[in-house]
Amino acid sequence: MSTVLQDIVAKKHYLFISGAGLTWQQAVKASTASLVADGSVSKDFYKQIIACIEKYGPYMVFEHNIAMPHTTENAEGVYKTGIGFMVTDQMIDFGVDEDGEKKEANIFFTLCAANSAEHMNNIQQLASIFMNEPLIDALVAARTPEEILAAEEKYPCEEE
Amino acid sequence: MAKLDGKKLLACCANGAGSSLMMENAIKKVMTRNNIKPASLTHCAVSEGKSAANSHDVVFCARTFAKTFEGIDPAKTTLILLKNVMSDKEIEAALKDAGLLD
Repeated sequence: MSTVLQDIVAKKHYLFISGAGLTWQQAVKASTASLVADGSVSKDFYKQIIACIEKYGPYMVFEHNIAMPHTTENAEGVYKTGIGFMVTDQMIDFGVDEDGEKKEANIFFTLCAANSAEHMNNIQQLASIFMNEPLIDALVAARTPEEILAAEEKYPCEEE
Repeated sequence: MAKLDGKKLLACCANGAGSSLMMENAIKKVMTRNNIKPASLTHCAVSEGKSAANSHDVVFCARTFAKTFEGIDPAKTTLILLKNVMSDKEIEAALKDAGLLD
């Protein structure tokens, strides 16, 4: 079975951008572009993610500047299950969390879920990736799909 | 018998589709590592979480959702607030702090 990163590359669900001057709202929109391109989500899907972050704060920005923009399973405008991968040269400012701690991201894994089992599998793999610091560092440095695959080959996640 | 054996655990996040699933995975790791067999481990959205909390022994959520659970009965339900929802180490430490794990 292919890994989520192999899947991202095979489906061209990736984007490498500078991110300079982008608001987090613009960055979230950009992170869905690769999912919009193959009809995984509607072009307005990003608006639901923005609404959720506006309501609850930037809780989907985790340690190591990882953002996981998402909404709910079977959200409106979601047609397939997938992950939109995006790396930005510049940090994207998500404001502060409930403790006043600054939240920034330069690596995005934007989720869309139409199928529970596939989505669960994606989440499980992402959790392993997010805890794998050398892999995250290598992915942040990646600027081509080949480099995504090379990063995973070099720093594989442990099998659970 | 471990304190969490037979207990009902619930992980909540805004949508019940992203971080709550990550939490569920991390909680599962902690349970397996400590050889604990909870009665159930499920996830849901915070919108359902408050009413669901009453029928669960332990509710886990990101700290940002703490307000949602104001007013739940601490005698019935323990609320575990997490900074990093996918950290099994933080979950383990929080459960120890709450006296639910030796």
